[in-house]
Amino acid sequence: MAVAAVHSGGIADHIHPEPESFLRKYVFSIDHKIIGIQYIVTCGIFMMLAGALAELIRVQLMRANGGFMTPDTYNAVFTMHGSTMVWFVIIPLLTGGFGNLIFPVQIGARDVAFPWLNMVSYWIFPVAGLMLYSSFLMGAPVAGWTEYPPMSLQGGAGTSMWCAAVFLMGIGSTLTGINFLVTILKMRAPGMTFTRMPLFVWGQFVTAPLLMIATTALGAALAALFVQREFGVPFFDPTKGGSPLLWQHMFWFYSHPAVYIMILPAFGMISEIFPTFARKPIFGYKMIAFSSCAIAILGFMVWAHHMFTSGMAPTLELPFMVLTMLIAIPTGVKIFSWTTTLFGGILEFTTPMLYSIGFLILFTIGGVTGVFLAAVPFDLHAHGTYFIVAHFHYVIAGGSLMGALAALYFWYPKMTGRMMNESWGKWSFWLYMIGMNGTFLPMHWLGLWGMPRRYAVYDPQFQTWNQIESWFSFVMTASILLTIFNAIWSIKYGKKSGANPWRARTLEWQIPSPMPYYNFKHVPSVFAAPYDFAEPLPYRGLEEELTDSPPPVPAAH
Amino acid sequence: MAVASVTQAGIVGRHHEEPDQLYVETRELRVQGFLLFMVSDLVLFSSFIFAYLYLRNTGQGWPPPGAPKLDLALASINSVILFGSGATMHFALENWKHRNFTKFANWIIATIILGAMFLSGQIVEYAKISATWGGSGIFGAGFFTLTGMHGFHVFCGIIYLTVLLLQALQGKYTFQKYTGLTLGTLYWHFVDVIWVVLFSIFYLY
Repeated sequence: MAVAAVHSGGIADHIHPEPESFLRKYVFSIDHKIIGIQYIVTCGIFMMLAGALAELIRVQLMRANGGFMTPDTYNAVFTMHGSTMVWFVIIPLLTGGFGNLIFPVQIGARDVAFPWLNMVSYWIFPVAGLMLYSSFLMGAPVAGWTEYPPMSLQGGAGTSMWCAAVFLMGIGSTLTGINFLVTILKMRAPGMTFTRMPLFVWGQFVTAPLLMIATTALGAALAALFVQREFGVPFFDPTKGGSPLLWQHMFWFYSHPAVYIMILPAFGMISEIFPTFARKPIFGYKMIAFSSCAIAILGFMVWAHHMFTSGMAPTLELPFMVLTMLIAIPTGVKIFSWTTTLFGGILEFTTPMLYSIGFLILFTIGGVTGVFLAAVPFDLHAHGTYFIVAHFHYVIAGGSLMGALAALYFWYPKMTGRMMNESWGKWSFWLYMIGMNGTFLPMHWLGLWGMPRRYAVYDPQFQTWNQIESWFSFVMTASILLTIFNAIWSIKYGKKSGANPWRARTLEWQIPSPMPYYNFKHVPSVFAAPYDFAEPLPYRGLEEELTDSPPPVPAAH
Repeated sequence: MAVASVTQAGIVGRHHEEPDQLYVETRELRVQGFLLFMVSDLVLFSSFIFAYLYLRNTGQGWPPPGAPKLDLALASINSVILFGSGATMHFALENWKHRNFTKFANWIIATIILGAMFLSGQIVEYAKISATWGGSGIFGAGFFTLTGMHGFHVFCGIIYLTVLLLQALQGKYTFQKYTGLTLGTLYWHFVDVIWVVLFSIFYLY
């Protein structure tokens, strides 16, 4: 049977030979799918570490007047909790993990542009993580994941180690950003124009420049803090002409785009899951794609909304307030598009769908509190309180993490060839909804009543709600543990999935599960976006993918 | 010169090898990846430039006590040397494209020498203000960090160009396939552009 794919002799025909040794297959692999799984597993480990730290916080906060930790220990615990979650769980999971695993197949490529660099980016991750946790042994960092000077100039060597660890991790992120951007720009299958790309790819495409540009800015800030701590270079020391505010500008110039790094890939995940389980085209494809671009660009212009109470020039408050509120518009466009996608669809409430609906509700709540915080008068009251903690946990734990969990249940078959246990999945979803909301919802009013964040002891009037939150946090932990157990158990005992258990339409579902090392026997050509459920699949050249025919050999030079 | 003509013969022997599709596509990836890497490097420098300009303008009085007096004449000569090295690198690549190995080698050696002279000039500048290394406050914070980073980039560039020259001598590049040389030239020009900005903010502002 004639197959319509073109043998050009170019990259599309350039197939890595199948790796032979165990080391090459599973340890030092240059295969984006293996690297993706490595990231996901490593993130799972760091998630458990950061989660344990979170539970230490919640146990401490069950008592208003002193749990079991000294204030210094408590400071170290929440610093490491935040640093781990942001840089060693959410960002690598959504970009290096699910990004690597899926988007190259979705664009019909055989791998990313720089596979060896991809492997290096991954291996930086566990090394940097070990460095980060070694800081516990040398006087842990204690000034929060934001490490503001002058507090970050004091204390043990752990803060300098924190600088080095996060800097190293940042190198991996920057390389990943470059890798992904070049891959999407240059390695899409024939016929896959930008407006025929799956929205998950759009998510990675707009995140990659953020990874590349913003992370380097963080690197500069960390290097400056390091040389101040170790060599006395006075960037942030006001007694020598430096400025603590400079740190805040440099840090937040990165860290605000960082939160978009944490959410834009999740938007992409949700945009794949909703059409699949509503059996309906995504509503507003172009609006979702272009609003992602707008969010990525605007995300660089709003950093000082973290600094309204810092003493910076008051004239900066209005522009940053307005720009921050503007970001709500493209975000709102997406929320409406997703909701409209569900409307009138034939809904299948599988676990990934449930997590995605949870995302829609919880991220919206987090986003709305974000708009409150954008208003300077409100922020002056809420800054530094539990209201902030509530806001960002809703968008991260209710947004990014729920998106990642949805993605895990959704794409697990492509990793392993098996389904995760569906009934445990539903249990973990409901435990998560109950646990997460019970933990973080009361923080809104606790914050407005005046409970400050980052305090090991607090006013006893807040104790009852803190205890409630702590009990609910155990429910949330149970949910995560159940998911992790499910993921491990299902490797061996999960129901075999076949290539396309969800009857989805993007390219990764048209090849076997688990995905073969060469991705495609023949690189397909693409003639439409994948979301039109009324039409046949918009690809040509996939006839042999699910047959027993032999794997492709590299074209002769 | 025996070495050049032997390798030139080797290169000539392969000069009919047209770059195939795979090479052309991979070259596009490599060039784009390298350009993006330079963008991120630019962000690194921009962050420190912002830090310096921020500290300079936040009204604690300028120059701060303990700041060194810089030698504009020395730095100007040094700048001309560095810009000259950019020109010589351009000529080196042009001669390669025109299949003149000997001239390529001569121009790239000239670039390396000029780069080394620039670094020596920087070392002289540092030595002249060595008394202020410790106590130069925020001026030193900006000046030594930025020129130090830049100097490190020049140093790596010199090594990079030397490696490229050695590879070219070993016949790694042909007159059709020389992406490595293109990327090296791009990097060297990038280092030049950064210096324009640094020279302006430290010596002219």
